[in-house]
Amino acid sequence: MSTVISSKRTAPPPAAAAEPPSRTGRRQQRIAAAVLLTPFTALLVAVFLVPVGYAIYLSFFGEDHEGLGFGGGRTVFTGLRSYLAVLQDPSFLTGFGTIALYCVIFVPLVVLSALAIALLLDSGLVRLRRTAQMLLYLPHAVPGIIAAVLWLYLYTPGLSPIIKVFAQADITIDFLGLHTVLPSIVNIALWSGLGYNMIIFYAALQALPREVIEAATIDGAGGIRTALQVKVPIIRGSLVMVCMFSLIGALQLFTEPMLMNQATPMVNSRFTPNMYIYDAAFRRNNYGLASAASVILLIVTCALSYAVTRWSGRRERSAR
Amino acid sequence: MPGHRRPGRPATGRRTTAGTTTALITLLALLLAGCSGGGADTAKNGPVHLTFWSALRGSQEVVDAFNRTHSNIKVDFAQVPSGEQGGWAKLSNAARAGNAPDVATIEYPQLPGFTIDGVPRDISKLLPDSVRRKILPQALDLTTFDGRTYAVPVDIEPMVFLYRKDIFTKNHIPVPKTWAEFESSARALKKAQPRSRIASLFTTGGTLYMAAYAWQAGAKWYDTSGDTWRVAMDDAPTRKVADYWQRLKDDDLVRVEPGSSQQWRAHLRSGETAGYLAGAWAAGSMMASTPDGKGKWAVAPVPQWDAAKPKVSTQGGSTFMVTKDSNHPKEAMEFISWMVTSPAALRAKLSSGVSSAFPSVPGLVPVARKEMDTSYFSGQDIFGLFDEQAKLIAPTWKWGPRMVSTTTSGDDGLAKAGVGSGSVLEALRDAQNRTMPDLKSLGLSVTER
Repeated sequence: MSTVISSKRTAPPPAAAAEPPSRTGRRQQRIAAAVLLTPFTALLVAVFLVPVGYAIYLSFFGEDHEGLGFGGGRTVFTGLRSYLAVLQDPSFLTGFGTIALYCVIFVPLVVLSALAIALLLDSGLVRLRRTAQMLLYLPHAVPGIIAAVLWLYLYTPGLSPIIKVFAQADITIDFLGLHTVLPSIVNIALWSGLGYNMIIFYAALQALPREVIEAATIDGAGGIRTALQVKVPIIRGSLVMVCMFSLIGALQLFTEPMLMNQATPMVNSRFTPNMYIYDAAFRRNNYGLASAASVILLIVTCALSYAVTRWSGRRERSAR
Repeated sequence: MPGHRRPGRPATGRRTTAGTTTALITLLALLLAGCSGGGADTAKNGPVHLTFWSALRGSQEVVDAFNRTHSNIKVDFAQVPSGEQGGWAKLSNAARAGNAPDVATIEYPQLPGFTIDGVPRDISKLLPDSVRRKILPQALDLTTFDGRTYAVPVDIEPMVFLYRKDIFTKNHIPVPKTWAEFESSARALKKAQPRSRIASLFTTGGTLYMAAYAWQAGAKWYDTSGDTWRVAMDDAPTRKVADYWQRLKDDDLVRVEPGSSQQWRAHLRSGETAGYLAGAWAAGSMMASTPDGKGKWAVAPVPQWDAAKPKVSTQGGSTFMVTKDSNHPKEAMEFISWMVTSPAALRAKLSSGVSSAFPSVPGLVPVARKEMDTSYFSGQDIFGLFDEQAKLIAPTWKWGPRMVSTTTSGDDGLAKAGVGSGSVLEALRDAQNRTMPDLKSLGLSVTER
């Protein structure tokens, strides 16, 4: 089995790439590269780099007031003051705590369920595979905010048919209670994440060389063993990517809790770091604070992504 | 809800699905705020045009009456959403973009924050002495910071106790004069009618009610000493009040529910909640929202901590500001003066429906008394009572620089306390902790007492 894999890995590169390009060819390539890269670069600059730069600028400058502040403020360089204020704000740190808990529940749940479903679909055990795939993907096609509204309807006492049905059986369910609200949010996010990640895994599985599976079967591996010990290790790249995307997505949790904030006091207006930023900017009119919090969130996100990549890279190298 | 809107949370209740749509609308409003509104045009020979934003019901009628009787100034009025539904954000965004209206309405607790953000103009010199003298000093005190006046109060709302007279009489429960009696009446009521409670402890919007109770007890959440803000949302009087309400809640003597919610209204209608502590405006609101309570409700003075030294705080009330952006501050002030002091303005406002807002100008009380049909309260002289209570308003209170977010934080804590996680006092402490970083990052000089 291992020989098959290594022979695949050391396969020579396609012949075309090895041929040195001619001079005009190289120039044409450069123009093509420029043409192809320009839209991306322009967008990257316009919607990412410029806003990030502006946020960093705003985080160091702010309205400054003297004494009681009634004299009116003026915009001055405030240095790290906004950063210090954010880091001393218990509600900002609580937001990260909430997110951490959310990640611990959400990321494994969405990744493992999507993987399990993809493996099931790939195993050929499932009938009506195309229909099943479509049905599972469908929730992802519903925009996040709409999904949240729909779920909120199902969660709200007095409106929800689910609560009504359980109430008839004398079971009281409170989806919006102190301890149930986070699982309720996970549930909303799970449905849209599941189909999307499932497709990624399924596509990766489809690209698996069939001879590997055949070899495993010949060696006497059963369906489950093949799935766990052959398929999963090979698609580890997709696994890491999905983990990372889910993590980044989770860090930016906003839509669902923002909407739930309207329905239950258990989701406060600074429930997640993103909501904190929104609250700082639009409820407290404190753009310096909001920008500093944004920059901190960006740094945390980048650091986490980097850590995940490094960690998985090391795992891969040591596995080889 | 005519006449007057309670500051804080919207009448429909924040925690309803109606609120869900509001979230989206608020987002849109935030985006659109920059495009709407605008300064007044200056026509050389024609009348001066003023723009006016308000969430107060009846404003249109007042503006119409003004326009009918004035030829030098024409006011263009726009009804804006109440603060929590986007009104505050709309105003501050417009000010930021430099196109705030000439005149805007703001509630007392939010005025210091808007002042620090530079939205209202310093009107100390613009405000004519003739107007200044007419206004209740305690009201003007709440719009004057650092010796400068930033807004003109239109109503001041002494807290009163609205109660179901029929239920109290039937069960021989005395109307409480002190908070100790309030507690014993609460127990007596629960004993007589196990499904009924004397009042509500509000979660949504509750922080502003707690503020009113604390103020009455002598608390100072925000105080200034020289150039420094001194914050203490858990000072001794507040602790007394918080523990009191905590006990009422723990002994199941009050109903814990979101303020202004459907649920709360339903309980008022059914008599399951037999009382309501709120500003004077609430009498009119009750008439509008609970019409079948006619003849059943009555108004009593707020219970006292020390009956020998009665003190009253306010709950609700609004002010008018001239914005910094206004090109016609003099005309804007003329319009505001008319709205606040003229009987015609008050009559126009009252004509819009049921309002019991207590005018900040005591001289207008006879007008309100005459216009108001109090048959709902069995002909009780409620404005006479409000007038007495207004005189007792303690001139000790200051609102803080960021009340919008402070009250939101407090409300979140109260909601948690309501389901048994944390306490009323912790909610207030939390609100303070969540406010301090904000104040520090604004560069304000601030200490915690």
